[in-house]
Amino acid sequence: MSERKNDEFINYELQEFKLFEPLFKWARKKSLWIVAFCTGCGGIEMPPLATARYDFERFGIMPNPAPRMGDLFLITGYVTPKTLKRIIITYEMMQDPKYVMIHGSCPINGGVYWDSYNVVKQFDKYLPVDVAIAGCMPRAEAVMDGIMEIMRKIEDGTADGWKRYRENYEYYRKNQDELFGEGWREKDARRWLAWI
Amino acid sequence: MDMNEKPKVEEKVEEQKPQEVPEVEAPKLPDTKEGKLVAEVLEKAPYAEGNVRRERRVEFKVPADRIKEFLELASEKFEMLIQISVVDWLKEGEFELVYQLWSVSESVHAFVRTRIPRENAKMPTVMDIWPVAETYEREAHEFFGIIFEGNPRLGPFILEPREYEKHPLRKDFNMLGYVKTIYGEDFDRYDESKTNYVI
Repeated sequence: MSERKNDEFINYELQEFKLFEPLFKWARKKSLWIVAFCTGCGGIEMPPLATARYDFERFGIMPNPAPRMGDLFLITGYVTPKTLKRIIITYEMMQDPKYVMIHGSCPINGGVYWDSYNVVKQFDKYLPVDVAIAGCMPRAEAVMDGIMEIMRKIEDGTADGWKRYRENYEYYRKNQDELFGEGWREKDARRWLAWI
Repeated sequence: MDMNEKPKVEEKVEEQKPQEVPEVEAPKLPDTKEGKLVAEVLEKAPYAEGNVRRERRVEFKVPADRIKEFLELASEKFEMLIQISVVDWLKEGEFELVYQLWSVSESVHAFVRTRIPRENAKMPTVMDIWPVAETYEREAHEFFGIIFEGNPRLGPFILEPREYEKHPLRKDFNMLGYVKTIYGEDFDRYDESKTNYVI
């Protein structure tokens, strides 16, 4: 395979079709599928979001257990290093374009677990984040507000976390390796996913 | 009646009975199902202390060298092991192990407490009595470093290997220093003078 063709293959999602791009953005905005991966306490805020009062299926959102069909990754609450390994692998399994939203104070700066030995501070160092909701815990209104914000950002084209992850991969990879030690993918992730 | 008249006080001469010296007895157990259960267990195990805390809650204190024997005895009445929890008494230099048992037939919850020294803490395993004890012992070993002799699966269980070496639930584990080494710049909310905590 020639180099040019290889680049085309890798950057296929980065190609923009000028004429149809607004249509594509509108379609992505109206069909956000959530990866059903709830960490920490935020999972308990999802049932009120999904049921009659703040029915998120109005917006075309639905939870999906498969990362290969997900668009939106919700980090609902604190993240331990052990969970972060799974989150990173799951995030890399998702198809571009993909968006990350973090709930609560813990992924932002540690929250109430600011001095805990097994809670990751600053989730932003390990994966790119599009929208962060502050609070502990943010209630369903706040989560809906974050979802509306991410829809606005998709329409503007500013929800570009997946592009930033490609461009600054060395930075994110360096931070991940500092936390887990070199070769954590080969040691740990290969046990869960044989093809890594 | 005249004001000056004093009311007559009948003077009783109390007959002083010779006071019996009370023998030192164990605290009397109440006449309930819990009291009878404790009495039955203590009859067979005189080395233990037992009392009834409240309804459906009893407590035993056992010396550490007889714990296996006592638990084998107690497992006839208390069929279920709910949890093995550990308390770290740093000043006394002791770990307190609390075996929490549940009696299905009588529906009574029992604590069995025992104390062991902190250095090179060793306990006999109770896997042969309750197979579920394996998981609880692995957890206690990981967080506190207690070695349960006879448990084949002791080792890293839940935490990362670097945390397993530190036994992070011990009271002498320097958590702030550890967090600084691991998370470094992210850990920006700790003030050395401890005057300014921002939560």
